[in-house]
Parts: sequence; structure tokens; C-alpha cells
Amino acid sequence: MQVTLRIRRFNPEKDQKPYWADYTLDNVEPTDRVLELLHRVKWEQDGTLSFRRSCAHGVCGSDGMRINGMNRLACKVLVNTLGEGDALTIQIEPLLGLRVIKDLIVDMEPFFEHYRSVMPYFVNDDPPPEDGRERLQSPEDRERFDDTTKCILCACCTTSCPSFWANQDYLGPAAIVQAHRFIFDSRDHAAEERLKILAETDGVWRCRTIYNCTMACPREIEVTRAIGEVKLAIARGSVE
Amino acid sequence: MTALATTVTETLRYRGKVGQWAWVLHRLTGLGVIVFLILHVVDTSWAAFYPSDYEQAIREYQSPLFTIGEFFLVASVVFHALNGLRIVTLDYKPEWWRYQERATLLVFALTLLVLVPTFAVMLDHTVAFYTSDRDIATLDEIVQTQSLFVMGFVVILVVALALSGLYGLVTRSSQGVKLSGGWEATLWTYMRVSGVLILPLVFGHLVLMHILQGVFDIAGVPELEVVGTNAINQSGTAVEFVGARWNALLAGVAVWRIYDGLLLALAAIHGFNGLRYIVNDYARSVWVNRALNWAIFFGVIALIVVGAAALIAGADETAYKLATDMLSSVQ
Repeated sequence: MQVTLRIRRFNPEKDQKPYWADYTLDNVEPTDRVLELLHRVKWEQDGTLSFRRSCAHGVCGSDGMRINGMNRLACKVLVNTLGEGDALTIQIEPLLGLRVIKDLIVDMEPFFEHYRSVMPYFVNDDPPPEDGRERLQSPEDRERFDDTTKCILCACCTTSCPSFWANQDYLGPAAIVQAHRFIFDSRDHAAEERLKILAETDGVWRCRTIYNCTMACPREIEVTRAIGEVKLAIARGSVE
Repeated sequence: MTALATTVTETLRYRGKVGQWAWVLHRLTGLGVIVFLILHVVDTSWAAFYPSDYEQAIREYQSPLFTIGEFFLVASVVFHALNGLRIVTLDYKPEWWRYQERATLLVFALTLLVLVPTFAVMLDHTVAFYTSDRDIATLDEIVQTQSLFVMGFVVILVVALALSGLYGLVTRSSQGVKLSGGWEATLWTYMRVSGVLILPLVFGHLVLMHILQGVFDIAGVPELEVVGTNAINQSGTAVEFVGARWNALLAGVAVWRIYDGLLLALAAIHGFNGLRYIVNDYARSVWVNRALNWAIFFGVIALIVVGAAALIAGADETAYKLATDMLSSVQ
């Protein structure tokens, strides 16, 4: 099949404003991934096209972008999920709400700053168990935060959120998901501190339960649910 | 303004699902209802303080422009109420998120289900009114009075902006208005609790004032029974309608004053806080953000004070007389 990629391009050293550029590719297999098509454009047609990708298998979270109007990972989207027929147009643009550095590459620093602000690390100053092995946890306690351990920080959720588009001070879904992972971990001791950070104006309260984040997550994390559980923990003043 | 422009264009461009559209409608309908609530509380207070102005206001509410507005208002209230219930449910049961799409579609369906018969009855009132030979306020009259409201809003905005600018110059503050986390949590809970409490009150109000009787019945129809009471509106003035309703006692208690008072307090704070959410999302300039937050803070206090004062003062024979005189002078 033939596929036309409509790509939002911008080179700050050259361009006044972003523009759309069309690239037509022949012999595309319906089972090709969008990332492969981007590679073909870069390698066969225009070497100046810039985008991030690393593992190319949905694990590293580098190639989040807006594909046909929805945030996804280019390496996880097959062409046949975007349409059928002999000719297809696929529209690709950078994630919204973060500054475009070049073409599909956005400045992730503000995103990671929000991530770091929720203390996304294990806090427990108790001495480790006598036997020198790991701190044990029941399967039920582990299950409590299993879903939010799956986050790969691709920013698809945060940049699908209308609250974040309007106001980039909002910590955003990803940072809250990461906080959730530790808040509900029975071995961790800093839940209270994290809840205090998330209770601020730019924390969970900017979430309006629009569910764009849940729909966007390439790891199928129940993002809005996690945010909701954090809200309730704050409102009730307790994790359980 | 760029935040608002980005949100509008990108909401249209992003392929969000039904949850995104429910959010857009929730904002728009909320905004519509709070604007009407402000007008409504201010001019209902005139029944107590400026009877002939209140009579004029109701005359204008009977005109085509406001009749159309009433249909939008009722639709907004019904959608906002039902969608609010969905939001509250999912907030307290986040694990039910898988049903959110179906719940949203259910909200749309229920909204239509409620609106079809409601609109049928309202249309019936409307047709009956416009096919009778009753007197209708002219567009000129409407522009004359309502422009005062528009001017009022503009003056409040200009004053708020000026004060905010002055404050910025003096204190060199670069902070917008941010509430503490504790306040945000309290208001979040308040929005949910008040939303649920408002539901029976607002639907009761809807049935009484838009379905059983409507704006066409409360003025211009002498000797009509006032809905929800045993009183008769002798003079057929809107002022007597309101006065009689507030004065009606059930087991010695002025139930309608309590009802209206509760609705006023719950809805005003709910509405203004909703407005604050919108302002803090889109008014990103410190100067404008501070001005609008101040306007909202003092606005909600002023509205509740004005409404409560009118409820306490009530309307009496003297007021009915003034209203009757006013009506006979324009007819």
C-alpha cells in the first residue's frame, strides 16, 4: 500500500513557524509500524527529519508523538490500526505542551522536573532485615500499586491532558502515577510527604477526570484511576 | 489568553473520547448557569428593594430573547447536574473508570430524556403566551436595562484589574492567587458534596418555576395561585408572586425562604468556585489572574449578602403597589 506521512516540521534555526510536510512511501506493509515509516522517510527521502527513538520496542518511551490526533508510541502503532485501503495518510506531530526543539523532538526537561518533584524513589530509613535479604511484602500489598509500576515516562498521558496544555505548572498525570507507585507501597515511609506535594494547587486538583491520559497510555495504565486514588487519599487524610 | 486559545484549538484537534467532550460541555454549561445565577439573584433582590425594577426585569424575561435563553438555561442545568453526578461517582469510585464512557453516554441520553418532555411543556407555555394578546417588552427596553448589567460586569473587571495592577506595583508580587493545598482539598470536597445537595433543590426549582408555572405565569396573570403555596397573586405582579412565596408558612416555617436561601448559598459558592477553576486554568498573566480571583472572591460574598438580605427583607403590600403602578404605566 501507499502511505503519505504528513509530518509537522520545525527547525528553529531556519523556520519562522512550524509547517506540514508530506512524504509519500510506496510498498508499505499493513503490519509496518509508524516508526519504520519515519525511518524510511529519514533514510530514503529527507535526512534532516528529527525524532527520538531508542529501543524501538515500546519499553524506553522515547518516541511518544501525536499520531492521527492521539498520543502514542510510534514503535507500538501498526499501520493497519490507522486505516485500510491502497492509500492512507497518517498525520504526525510533536507532543503538545512541551517546547519543540526540532521537528518531533520536544524538551522533556519540564516533564522530568515534575517527575522529580514527587520524590519518585523508595524512602525507608529503617535498617534492612537482619538476614540481609529484601524487605518482604505480601502479594496483596504488592498488587496494590502493580499497575503504576508499568510507567515508562513517555509523556503521552501528560501531553494529552487539556489541563496541562493550558498550564504547564500542573504536575500532570505521569508524575502523579509515579507518586502513586510509592504512596501505595507498604514498604515506603514517605507517603505523607508526597501527598502534601500533590495536594498543592498544581498537584492532583487540576485533574478534571477527562480520561484522555488513560486512553493515551501505551502501557494501558489506569491513569485516571491512580489520580483518583491519590485525590481520595488526600481528601481522607489516609492511604487506605 | 494563549492558554485558552491553545486549549480551544487543541481540544478540537485532539482525538479525545467522549470524556473530553463531557468536560467541555460541563465547563460551558457551568459558565452559562453561573452568569444567569448572578443576574437572577441580583434582580430577584429587587423584588424586595426596587419593586418596579423587578417588575420590569420579569417583563423582559418574558420577551423572546430571554425565552430562548431559558431553554438553554434549563438544558445547561440538566446536563451539568447529571454529568456532575457521574463525575462525583467516579471520583469516589475511581476503580469504576471502565464504565466512564458508558456513563457519559448515559448522561447524554438521560439529559435528552429529561429535556424532551420538559421542553414540550415549556414550549406549551411559550406558545400560549405569544398567541395571547399580552404585552411584550421591546428590544429597546431590554438593551436599556441589560446594558446596565454588562456595564456592571465591565466596571467590576476594570476596578479589579486596576487594583491588581496597583497591588503589583506596590508589592512587586509576581504571584497569582494560589490557595493552600488544604483549601484546595476542602473546596474539591465541597464541589462534590454541594453538587449532590443542589440536585434535589435545583430539580425542584426547575419543576416549580419552569414546568408547573413559568416566567409567563408569575407576572401579568392576576389572581393566579402561587405555585407551592396556598397564596393567590392578587395583583398579578411578579413582586407579589415572589413576596407571597417567601411569606408562605408551612407549620409556621417560611419554607421557601429556607429553600431559596439554601439553594443560593450552595449554588453561589459552587458556581464561583467553578469559575475560579476556569480562571486559574486560563488566566496565566499574574495581573489578570489576581484581578479575576479577587473579583470572584468579593463577587461570591456580595451575591450571597444581596440574596440573603432580599430573602430576609421580603416584599410587602407597599412593594406590590409600586409594582402594580409600574405595570399599568408601561401597558
